[in-house]
Amino acid sequence: MTMVSSSMPPEPGLAARLATRVAARVALALRVSWPFAAFFIGFFLVWEYSVVIFKIPGYILPTPSQIAANGWADIPRLLDYTLITGAESLIGYALAICVGVPVGLAIAFWKPLQRTVYPFLVSLEMVPKIAFAPLFIAWLGFGLLPKVIIVVLVCFFPVALNAIHAFGSLSDELTRFCRSTGAGPLRTFWKVRLPAALPQCFVGFKYAALNATVGATIAEFMGSDQGLGFYIQIATGNMRPDLAFAGIFFLTLLGLALFGAVSLAEKLLIPWHITLRRH
Amino acid sequence: MGATIDIRSLTKTFGVGPAAVHAFGPVDLTIESGSFVSLLGPSGCGKSTLMLMIAGLLDASRGEIFFDDRKVEGPRTDIGIMFQDNTLVPWRTVEGNVALQLELRGLDPRDYADRIRDLLRSVKLDGFQRRHPYELSGGMQQRAAFCQALVHEPDTLLFDEPLGKLDAMTRESIRSDLQTLWMQKRPTVVFVTHSIEEAVQLSSTVCVVTPRPGRIERRIDIDLPWPRNLEVKASARFTQYVREIQGIFHDYGVL
Ligand SMILES: Nc1ncnc2c1ncn2[C@@H]1O[C@H](COP(=O)(O)OP(=O)(O)OP(=O)(O)O)[C@@H](O)[C@H]1O
Ligand SMILES: [Mg+2]
Repeated sequence: MTMVSSSMPPEPGLAARLATRVAARVALALRVSWPFAAFFIGFFLVWEYSVVIFKIPGYILPTPSQIAANGWADIPRLLDYTLITGAESLIGYALAICVGVPVGLAIAFWKPLQRTVYPFLVSLEMVPKIAFAPLFIAWLGFGLLPKVIIVVLVCFFPVALNAIHAFGSLSDELTRFCRSTGAGPLRTFWKVRLPAALPQCFVGFKYAALNATVGATIAEFMGSDQGLGFYIQIATGNMRPDLAFAGIFFLTLLGLALFGAVSLAEKLLIPWHITLRRH
Repeated sequence: MGATIDIRSLTKTFGVGPAAVHAFGPVDLTIESGSFVSLLGPSGCGKSTLMLMIAGLLDASRGEIFFDDRKVEGPRTDIGIMFQDNTLVPWRTVEGNVALQLELRGLDPRDYADRIRDLLRSVKLDGFQRRHPYELSGGMQQRAAFCQALVHEPDTLLFDEPLGKLDAMTRESIRSDLQTLWMQKRPTVVFVTHSIEEAVQLSSTVCVVTPRPGRIERRIDIDLPWPRNLEVKASARFTQYVREIQGIFHDYGVL
């Protein structure tokens, strides 16, 4: 792969080098996962031609090519709304982590909380958080805040519950090992408890990442005047499923980006765990 | 020379009420400074439990333990322990895992670089310093844990079946390393094993533990010359000791 770029004429520009690397990566990915790629392409082909062959009207089910073309025509608005929904998701997600991890830590290490707050959290976990969405919209209006709160609600529980589990489950043997060295709680935390807890924490982070865009979208359905959820709803109301699908496409990209970023962080922070899992 | 460990009517019961498990004791035992004492007994007889109580990591239900006349009241930090399940952490390399013992004690691993290297070489892990535990076989992990338990130069050592997962050859070679180490520095060693030959070969005293609740049925001083090489192992007296202990287990019905 590197040979391709180094044998090219004198000092190719950054963009050219990047392009060769991306091309090489894509080629590699295709070689490994061409069955998936083939299925993926096949799926859209079947979709496209079924609509044509069975003469399904466009206001019921558009073809992928219509979705692409009409979506492209409305791209400024779609991008704008992607940013808005993205901001709601990201802010809510980040807040959920900033609150969820410390709460998880406190409960894992402080016995009185384990008997009071923990059972409360577990029973709240049974409540479908999204059911609160209309209430928050009614209380706080159409702005950013109610959406962020709803995203926090749907992300907080997986983060906090997994953090409790993560920090509370160091093996007896390792706990004893740490005690036998006379290390204080802080040193034990940094050297052993924290790294040992990270894999389980990331289970929560990834789960929450999937929830974040769902929360933002539903919050927008409930009441808003911008964002992809709003866009999809309006498009559907106007009998423009092609535009609704375009909105869904961007929502999917958003979800993938968030999940991908968290997975990347996991890969960078705990590479040992990824390799461990592969075995 | 290591500490003298004095165990007085030590008992351990897990749980309370009808579900309580009387795991161990009462046991009285004095482990002389600089001796190598093996605990030999069937599975579940309380050997690990005794080990943890000696280390101050588990409270006794009754009785007490003294290190050189000082009562054990919390974890003892001056000893080296090799736990039954190894304590290697997956995010550190072999070298890093050995260093963890030092770092947790607030010591700088750089000051111990030579010692770490020598230790790893002595268990034939040179070349694997930078590998992670999942890249090692079970036996190699055990050898790494062995180095982790010794790196801070403790003069009292507790080993809970340290050679359990090793192949016959490595086992023999680590036994001899352990023996050399003991002969040179004379730490006090408490050594849990399931192997009668291993106990006879390495120990100055073998304690035979009864099935649960574990009691020390017999203390057998092994009067054989050091070092106990293959020649000694082939001797009639060695075989006699092994037979004697086999006889005791036979009477329990565990052999
Ligand atoms: N935390 C615990 N709670 C309840 N019972 C326990 C606990 N730890 C150990 N026991 C019981 O105490 C007894 C002794 O356990 P221990 O681990 O000391 O045995 P052992 O001699 O080391 O066995 P092995 O050779 O299999 O390692 C066992 O019967 C076990 O069931
Ligand atoms: Mg045991």
